[in-house]
Amino acid sequence: MAEDGKNKNPEIVGFACSYCTFKASEMAGSLRLKYPDGVRLIQVPCSSRVDPAFVIKAIFEGADGVFVAGCHPGDCHFIKGNYFTRRKIAALKEMLDAFKLKDKLRLFWVSAAEARRFIDKVTTMYNEIKERENVREKA
Amino acid sequence: MKTGIFICHCGHNIKHTVDVKRLSEFFKKYPGVAVSQDYVFVCSEPGQDLIKEKIEKEGLDRVIIASCTPSLHEEMFKDVLKKSNLNPFLLRRVSIREHCSWVGDDIEKNTEKAKRLILAGLYSAAHYIPLEEKIVEVNKSALIIGGGVSGLSAALFLSRMGIYVYLVEKDVELGGHVRILKNIWPSGKDGKDIVDEMSNELAKRKNVEIFTSTKISNFEGFFGNYDVALDTPNGEKRITVGGAIIAIGFSPFDPLLKPDLKYGKDERIITTLDFEQNGDNLHLPDKPRVAILHCVGSRDEQIGKPYCSRVCCVNALRVANAIKQRYADSNVESFYMDVRAHPKGGEEFFEDTQEKGVLFTRANVAEINPSPSGIIIRGEDTLLGEVFEREFDLVVLSIGMSPPDDSKIIANLLKISLDKDKFFLEAHIKLRPFDTAVKGIFIAGSCSGPKDIEESINHGRASAVKLFGFLNLGYAYVDPFISYVDPKRCSGCRMCEQACVAKAIKYDEQKRVVRVEEAACMGCGLCNATCPSSAISLRGYFDNMIDDEISALMEAV
Repeated sequence: MAEDGKNKNPEIVGFACSYCTFKASEMAGSLRLKYPDGVRLIQVPCSSRVDPAFVIKAIFEGADGVFVAGCHPGDCHFIKGNYFTRRKIAALKEMLDAFKLKDKLRLFWVSAAEARRFIDKVTTMYNEIKERENVREKA
Repeated sequence: MKTGIFICHCGHNIKHTVDVKRLSEFFKKYPGVAVSQDYVFVCSEPGQDLIKEKIEKEGLDRVIIASCTPSLHEEMFKDVLKKSNLNPFLLRRVSIREHCSWVGDDIEKNTEKAKRLILAGLYSAAHYIPLEEKIVEVNKSALIIGGGVSGLSAALFLSRMGIYVYLVEKDVELGGHVRILKNIWPSGKDGKDIVDEMSNELAKRKNVEIFTSTKISNFEGFFGNYDVALDTPNGEKRITVGGAIIAIGFSPFDPLLKPDLKYGKDERIITTLDFEQNGDNLHLPDKPRVAILHCVGSRDEQIGKPYCSRVCCVNALRVANAIKQRYADSNVESFYMDVRAHPKGGEEFFEDTQEKGVLFTRANVAEINPSPSGIIIRGEDTLLGEVFEREFDLVVLSIGMSPPDDSKIIANLLKISLDKDKFFLEAHIKLRPFDTAVKGIFIAGSCSGPKDIEESINHGRASAVKLFGFLNLGYAYVDPFISYVDPKRCSGCRMCEQACVAKAIKYDEQKRVVRVEEAACMGCGLCNATCPSSAISLRGYFDNMIDDEISALMEAV
């Protein structure tokens, strides 16, 4: 984990749907919008391709946060994929809650046109995790 | 394994905030990496030649290009691999421009991030397999469901382009709802003339078969070869078509769903459609008082129809005009929420109607009470904030469009989706408004949402053009990024079958395993993530690829 002065910098793995969130992240790049370098994306064809095992693996390997991002409900390129994702992630969150790891996982919807929303979402997630980790560190 | 890594400077775009030299030096020492090189513009001619030369000289079997985002130059780089006799699906693109150099300013941090991203590509590419784009033959014929204006215009276009057309209509006659309309705004033509013009030409054409009073009883197969069973008056008929267009139109809103309107209780309360059919036989006094209610069955959350039906404002204006024309001394009052006369010339038509003396009152109508002397309407004038009560001789309800009664049946048969209002769902509302998620099946006209006649005709033609584009090739490529089943691991639990939106998974009763219908698979990977036995894999996105990508992103380097 990279050190930045006293504070740790969170590492976040994001699963981004090719049709929406990944496109939004491309657009964010073209617009030269900035977001923390700890956020790294893995491209998947649809958010429904994300096996809960991937999320668990990422957390086990040391990710401070994992997000799954897809198209807005009703906008899925594969019609209903994101509805499956929504249910799967809800169940996974329940499970992670038992290990007090629920905070590490987030699900959000970003359409291909919403570069700023993408920046908003990942930056908020990054800052919140950073704050929480540092509070824990001090305690 | 011999992997070649090519890191692009993209002029200054990447080099400016990522230490490309350090990256290429780092990966040179990495096991399995035969070539690691940075270059000023990998996409340029000399850049492409460099890749080609290295593939041939070093015998590379994986190529990783760390440059701009994968959606740029993808085909071009694939061609480079093809020209060097390497399977194009052994190429991995890593985005270190849009996802790295452009989104951070710190050269140290960016270089570290780029290192991880390239590593993820390297790990993932190790599991790549050569893929082939398969070709399937396409039957050059089309099924058009629905013989309204959009179905007719689609059928005409396809038939003129030499596609064999089967047109299916559930009613006795072609023409749909347009057939009963009179004096259609703005041309003044009768609906019957518009429809007859099209259906007469269609009847003369040799490559068209028209089935009236016919329903579809079965529909299966995949793009290029759909097997369809038709339930005709002369018994069942089986046909094979390459693709289909759904143009089943709409159902008029049933005002009985709003009992407050007292429709059917008094013959002086009619709909715009009744007026269309029996407008000449109304028994009205010489100076009739007529009320027109807008937005009946539209923009109404309470009855689950929050959408605007788009045609009823103009319909209401047509009724108002017709009455004014017939009875010069009539008193016509329109109760509206907003007048949305959106077609070309609609706003002028609205102003014209106002100038003719039709009164427009922005109002919420609360009660309609028939009495012997007339029908009393009570409501609130929402501009003045006052309650009013007025008496009329005739009340016309400007009804909206509801989804077609058969939409659910057709959606189930053709395995396509409906939206929240039960109209057919477009693959993408802006980019693919005519496509459904199922390849080769298109939607046309008001079955995908309220449309006026002009829009429906255009929609029908547009869908026909899209389908023609698919059919005319005579063959179709199947995207290689589709799922396949390892029958040895499949337990036959059929969970994937329930999850698959494209209905591409078929269960083999005898072998008790599933298989993937390759032409139907859309490649979303939901089945891969659903399978409890890891028997289904999505090509291009295997479990171990993504697993290793995660490891690479988290690895300390």
